[in-house]
Amino acid sequence: MVWVTDVAFEYLNSAIIGTVTVLDLVIFGISVLVTVAIAKVIGFYFKKSFSDRVEQGELEFLIKVIQGLIIVIGIYLALPSFDINLADMLVVGGTIGLVVAFASQKIVSNFGSGLFLIIERPIKPGDSINIGSVSGTVEEIRILSTIIKTYEGIYVRIPNEKVFTSDITNYVANVARRFEYSIGISYQSDAERAIRIVRGLLEKEPFVLRHPAPSVFVDTLGDSSVNLRVFIWAPSRVWWSVRTEMLWTIKKALEDAGIEIPFPQRVVTFSQPTGGAVPGSRGQEHD
Amino acid sequence: MFGVHHIPFRVDTNDISVQVIPGDAFSTYTRTSPGEKVTKQLGYREGKVIINPVEPVNLPKEVTGMLEFHFLPVTLSPGSTITLYLKFPVEIGVFVGDDENYTLIDVFSRAPAKYSLYGTPEKGFITRHVESEVYDSAPSSNPLEEGVMTLSIKNSSRDWIEVSRAVFDVSMMRLFYGNTAVMMGEMEIISRLIAITRISGTPPGDGMSTALRVYPTRKSLIPEKLFFMMEYGVGD
Repeated sequence: MVWVTDVAFEYLNSAIIGTVTVLDLVIFGISVLVTVAIAKVIGFYFKKSFSDRVEQGELEFLIKVIQGLIIVIGIYLALPSFDINLADMLVVGGTIGLVVAFASQKIVSNFGSGLFLIIERPIKPGDSINIGSVSGTVEEIRILSTIIKTYEGIYVRIPNEKVFTSDITNYVANVARRFEYSIGISYQSDAERAIRIVRGLLEKEPFVLRHPAPSVFVDTLGDSSVNLRVFIWAPSRVWWSVRTEMLWTIKKALEDAGIEIPFPQRVVTFSQPTGGAVPGSRGQEHD
Repeated sequence: MFGVHHIPFRVDTNDISVQVIPGDAFSTYTRTSPGEKVTKQLGYREGKVIINPVEPVNLPKEVTGMLEFHFLPVTLSPGSTITLYLKFPVEIGVFVGDDENYTLIDVFSRAPAKYSLYGTPEKGFITRHVESEVYDSAPSSNPLEEGVMTLSIKNSSRDWIEVSRAVFDVSMMRLFYGNTAVMMGEMEIISRLIAITRISGTPPGDGMSTALRVYPTRKSLIPEKLFFMMEYGVGD
């Protein structure tokens, strides 16, 4: 038994890298694990205490920053177990950093992009966005990648470098946004009356903003219909529900008022030579 | 309708009815108003329910914390101060709990809601839009539909200013109620583009009660503002 203890002690004190022993590594590893555990517990308590006081995205960000700080402090405190001179380490670390940077350019690039995304904040968790060919809601901005949940509920992970260098469309970055409808009514219908009806509906809807005011006007005289154009501003947080509900409300109100929303149609007139129609003759077409 | 009610109770005013009926283990809260009926279970049989006017920014759903008044332009000479009266739509909150620790269980209104944008879409604010006539004395109002804001406007600029807008942050909003719902607003105009608005927390007179607010029930860590700076103009 004593022999086993001696061997284990000897092994722990054996140097593996310079003067760094296995025991140093074990102490360092345990310190880091304890630090990570403390960071997790503190994160948990932050979430428990502040979840109803801070917006979820902001809280996640805050927790990550605090956890990151705790882990960095923990590593800093654990380093003396290596008996390492910090001044030497800065020199060695710089050299190693350069080597690592060249060896793992992509990772470093993603890391840097992640930092800039967190600082610049073109997107936040919860935002509806479009990056390249991916549209959806930002779930999480990690240090190397950004997680998007598409509108179909699919998980998409995009490396931060790609996010940072892509064109980002954030649909809710501004407090208000505009959307539009094109509504065709028949040529027989009274366009001025249709406009009055639509304006009345827009006036009643709370989330159709008073300023900037909505506008409704005759836009084009189409093949089959007189086309009205409706421009509406709504708060970004509710614009989608306003857009979907208002369109159906307008459709029903126009129909109730006897204003026809026509199908595409074409009037075909056949020429009628003396003696009646000639089978197989070609007619004249008018739009 | 406004005030403290002890379970069981029922209040009927015009077309609005609010009641809490105790059952064996819990109570049932029911509110009926035109076109709407809300029923909730309260996990106790005794206690009090407070009904009072609240900050009018909660309906149909909360999208902003700003209240914007639009009124006929009032022209002010440099250095002058005037007091005018505006009407605002009342939202009625139903709370359970006590003065220190309470929660909102229902909010409703007979006044239609409308929202607007103050400033630009990029940096502006979504606001609850209120259009009001300008009164030179406190107008009469139906307390279930309209409240009255006493707005004191001071023109601290060196120019003549035409003012037709006042924007207030909900976190500083204090309401009082008696025969009507009342807010006491102050506005200091710095220039045509900039003004500072505040709402006084002092009751305007004896017999007025301080209304419980919805804002503290959100338990936000963001501190309450002491004033709001209007940076996008005081006129249309």
